[in-house]
Amino acid sequence: MTATKDALLPAGPPPPAAARVGLVKRVWSRGQLTPYLLLLPALAAVLVLLGWPTVQMLGISLRKLDLRELVTGKAIWVGLQNYTDALTDPEFWTVTVRTVVFTAALVATTLLIALLIAVLMRHLNPVVRIVVQISLVLAWAVPVISTTTVFQWIFDQQYGILNKTLDKLGFHSFIGYSWFASGTSTLVVIGLLVLWQAVPFVAFTLYAGLLGVPREQYEAAGIDGAGPWQTFRAVTWPVIRPILTMVTFLSLLWDFTMFAQVWAIRQGGPDGASTTLAILQYLKGIAGSHFGSAAAIATIMLVLLLAVTARYVQLLVRSKDGELA
Amino acid sequence: MRKSLAQRITLSVLGVLVALVFLFPTYWMFTTALKTPGEILSPKFDLLPSSATLSNFASALTKPGFLTYLGNSLIVTLGAVLAALVVGVLAAIPLARFRFRGRKGFLLLVLVAQLAPLSALFIPMYLLMRDIGLLNTLPSLLLVYFATSLPFTVWMLYGFVNGIPYDLEEAAMIDGCSRTGAFRRVTLPLLGPGLVTTSVFSFITAWNEFLFALVFMRDQAKQTLPVWLSSFRTAFSVDWGGVMAASVVYAIPAVVFFLIVQRKLVSGMTAGAVKG
Repeated sequence: MTATKDALLPAGPPPPAAARVGLVKRVWSRGQLTPYLLLLPALAAVLVLLGWPTVQMLGISLRKLDLRELVTGKAIWVGLQNYTDALTDPEFWTVTVRTVVFTAALVATTLLIALLIAVLMRHLNPVVRIVVQISLVLAWAVPVISTTTVFQWIFDQQYGILNKTLDKLGFHSFIGYSWFASGTSTLVVIGLLVLWQAVPFVAFTLYAGLLGVPREQYEAAGIDGAGPWQTFRAVTWPVIRPILTMVTFLSLLWDFTMFAQVWAIRQGGPDGASTTLAILQYLKGIAGSHFGSAAAIATIMLVLLLAVTARYVQLLVRSKDGELA
Repeated sequence: MRKSLAQRITLSVLGVLVALVFLFPTYWMFTTALKTPGEILSPKFDLLPSSATLSNFASALTKPGFLTYLGNSLIVTLGAVLAALVVGVLAAIPLARFRFRGRKGFLLLVLVAQLAPLSALFIPMYLLMRDIGLLNTLPSLLLVYFATSLPFTVWMLYGFVNGIPYDLEEAAMIDGCSRTGAFRRVTLPLLGPGLVTTSVFSFITAWNEFLFALVFMRDQAKQTLPVWLSSFRTAFSVDWGGVMAASVVYAIPAVVFFLIVQRKLVSGMTAGAVKG
């Protein structure tokens, strides 16, 4: 796995070799329809199962659609009512700010820790490096819900190993301490759980990028008398910057829409204090049957996400555009 | 970059610390699963297990419904993987072997579809499944998991088919194979490793998925393993040994598959998005 300097993405699947168009065309000259027929199932699936729900969501967000309307099947168009309701609801703002802050903190921490680990791996001796890599792969491989149950057990009030350890270290006030008593504390535990699962992927990706820096460049920097920080700025940073852009984008996408971890830990509790936008959408839509309001929240979420990531998608499409000749 | 001995030792110590932090939760899950209930609920500080028993696994596997949920998970996961693979191969062939109008557009659509935050679409998906009468049935989940892994599958397989030289198919055709026959006899067998890698990705995605299973399956009997496991407080009360044993059982297939393809993981993930 190598990363070229100018590619926005580290090596994904290999770019197509320049095909010999003339020959391919000749062989397939009968049956102009064949490629379209073969593509049809995939295209239909993408349009029906991904495209249509997206369009639907916008439509539903402009309707009053509660359980009654759902049963009678009547469409009541209310314009932007669901949006004004959401935007004038103080709870919505609390949850939005919480989600944005939580996402930003989580992404920044993920990137920082992963970058440190990637640089560390680069400088470790082979044996220790393999040990680190195995530990990262294992952490990454364990399913989210398994991890969630383990973290609940580690942070358990009465028998959790964390409180036992703190007590052993002399902090006796932690006997029976509840880590899920406040929203902030609950979000910190969720954050740790996400970090534990998300850091490996980012660390590996960045490490793969670092391997793309020729050793000679480091040596040259050393000969020129550059310190470690200068070397990082001049040699390492230019190489990993595009990769960092990519993992930042993916982390934002995942952390902002994350549901499973938050729900499985405390269903957004205590008293809704760890509720994020994804949880709010679930509570409003699925638990409360206010589908119109929930669709409006989902749309707002997507708009926020698009605002942050549109530039990246543009870059991505442009970078792949040339490869798909 | 010569490093002194002191520097090398410091780095190694740091490396070992990082490894310990990342190994600990998995270690803790595993050792707790092997402890006796008495050990688990003792106030003693017990980082190292003092005995090992398989009784927690027995109690977890015999919990009412466990086998049903395991079966549900297997049905929707394997069904989705198979469907995505068939549709994905059909789409990958023309994308890699033909030049036709709309090809590039479709590839970009696939690429962008991978980035769609699907988890934000569960409200319209819920209503869609309700409208076609699939809500609360396993096919609804199968369809969603199929749709989730399809863009990624198409993209991966397109790369794999591209990696197989077209000359081989040409040679087979010169030897008298039909176009389809050449693909089936020459390229498809070479595509084996690519199919395996791609299936494993889809498998892990579907096996670990939680949100749609929670939203679609209103009946308890229709739940999948992750949903059941997340509600362990009702299923297990405070039987932490049982919870950990069940978590281990649920994690094993995902971890084993993950290790098979982990070399390809980073490159695959950066092209698409398999949410770990």
